[in-house]
Amino acid sequence: MRRGRKRTTEDWILDSGITTLLIIISFVTLYPFYYILIMTFNAGTDTSFGGVYLWPRSFSLDNYIYFFDDARWMNAFGVTVLRTLIGTALGVGFTSMVAYGLAKKDLLLRNAYFIFVIIAMNFSGGLIAFYVVLRSLGLINSFGVYVIPSMLNIFFLLIAISFFREIPEEMAESARIDGASELRIFARIMVPVSLPLMATMSLFLGAGQWNSWLDSAYFVQSEELRTLTYRMMQVINQSMMPTGSADATASMARLSVTPLSLQATAMVVSIVPILCVYPFLQRYFVSGMMIGSVKG
Amino acid sequence: MKAVTGTSTTQKQGFFQQFKKQLSFQMFVWLGLFFLLLFHYLPMFGIIIAFKDYRISTGIQGIFSSPWAGWKHFEAFFNDYNFNNLVRNTLALSFLKVIFSYPIPILLAILLNEVRNAFFKRFVQTVSYLPHFISWVVVSGIAYTFFSADYGIVNDLLLSTGIINQPLDVLTNPDSFWGFAVSSAIWKEAGWWTIIFLAAITGIDPALHEAAEIDGASRIKRIWYITLPGLKGASIVVLILTIGSILGGGLVGSNFEQAMLFGNPLNSDTSQIIQTYAFNVGLAEGRFSFATAIDLMQSVISVILIFSSNYIAKRVSGSSLF
Repeated sequence: MRRGRKRTTEDWILDSGITTLLIIISFVTLYPFYYILIMTFNAGTDTSFGGVYLWPRSFSLDNYIYFFDDARWMNAFGVTVLRTLIGTALGVGFTSMVAYGLAKKDLLLRNAYFIFVIIAMNFSGGLIAFYVVLRSLGLINSFGVYVIPSMLNIFFLLIAISFFREIPEEMAESARIDGASELRIFARIMVPVSLPLMATMSLFLGAGQWNSWLDSAYFVQSEELRTLTYRMMQVINQSMMPTGSADATASMARLSVTPLSLQATAMVVSIVPILCVYPFLQRYFVSGMMIGSVKG
Repeated sequence: MKAVTGTSTTQKQGFFQQFKKQLSFQMFVWLGLFFLLLFHYLPMFGIIIAFKDYRISTGIQGIFSSPWAGWKHFEAFFNDYNFNNLVRNTLALSFLKVIFSYPIPILLAILLNEVRNAFFKRFVQTVSYLPHFISWVVVSGIAYTFFSADYGIVNDLLLSTGIINQPLDVLTNPDSFWGFAVSSAIWKEAGWWTIIFLAAITGIDPALHEAAEIDGASRIKRIWYITLPGLKGASIVVLILTIGSILGGGLVGSNFEQAMLFGNPLNSDTSQIIQTYAFNVGLAEGRFSFATAIDLMQSVISVILIFSSNYIAKRVSGSSLF
């Protein structure tokens, strides 16, 4: 459209100004991640002298060796992977199943159901009352607290309902005539034809599970149930406290690992899976975001 | 939400026959309702412990059977020596975030729209969405790595180049908490919210730009008179969303996360907010009734803010959320 026009001085100034600004913004966003990454490949004891900005100065894999050798970190990693897989599967499955029910045309008591859902969406009892309920249900200090309370996402429930309504009735009808149960129709027909919806939901629920930290910090006490985010938080808190510095163990010293470099390693381990799925799911960001902001 | 009531054809059959025919669907729905009852409605009823003397050992029954305490816990909160500080911090953090974070995605979207190189545009977009998917815990780790007085790379760089003589204590100084919280929230979320504004820009009729160009309007002028007005609708929707969630931090959210993760005993003068205080007295000290009263106060304030912002938006622009 503008290709044919001659570039004026104004164009030149504007373009270079904008480009510079955006390069700065990109740098400020990316560099922290890059810095964390090179920190993990630098000997921790060397990093603490300062001056490492662009490239590992004293290349070392000690941080990763220590990290993947430490039973507590590995356990936390395992719990995080497990809760993400199970939590996402449960969340996507249950939310869309309920949505399939609510999307049914001529559903009796529909309006009452919707009022029930909308009230639940807009009002909440607050964290403390929520904790009291979780405790009474016996979910505190169990793996279930990670995956059960998040099984039904109201926001995605509403999105899924409008999505299922768009699917032509005939698709389910033929299977119904063949005698398939509704659960089977849902699993075998509805889910496969709603792949974009399923992908968007998996992305957002999965990221939520992976990044969640509050439940691991306050709703469980058992060490075996702690997640990666909790362990990171612990290291940060220890080093932030003015009195007690993070405890460097003997094996840490042997491997030139410091609490700070270990924390960086944990952060990289926590970011890498997100980076891996990022390119595949990026095309769903926009749809997810748009639906999200319109429905509030 | 469009509501469709049972049509006349279905009403000829009896309710139960009809219900039986759609039993599987009803089962799906009822499972969902049961879930909502447990994890949404039960906590809502749980609010009444704010007016009671509740002990956690009494479980769910205790919510209903514990003795009434009237407004005792609310009065205790009003008279709490932390009260003024907490309210001030909550409001300051919330309003500062709205004021400073709200315009950034709009500006960023306009800048991105002016980029002609498709690859560069795509690159900047991809980069700017990324922090949205990173946990606040990781962000606080990054913040520590960069700004810690002892190990922080920023202090390291500034000290070694002689720009400063004393390390900056961004993370522990009460005076810098608000600024730090606002800017880190912008760093994390601003890129993400450009998506909605970029989509709105795409919706602007290109003929407007062409006509203005023929009339000799400069690019700055076209941004000012075409792009910016074209973003009005999206801006209002986003503003309503922002104000509706203002006590959580608005658009960029995360008041609670930041107060929890960046707050420490040294900066608690400015970093302690109502929500974190409720959380701490509730879970750490076990004063569940008192903490619920505080939670409830915050909810009441935010409901008032939602309804008034919605009302104002309706009066001013004719568009509203409900």
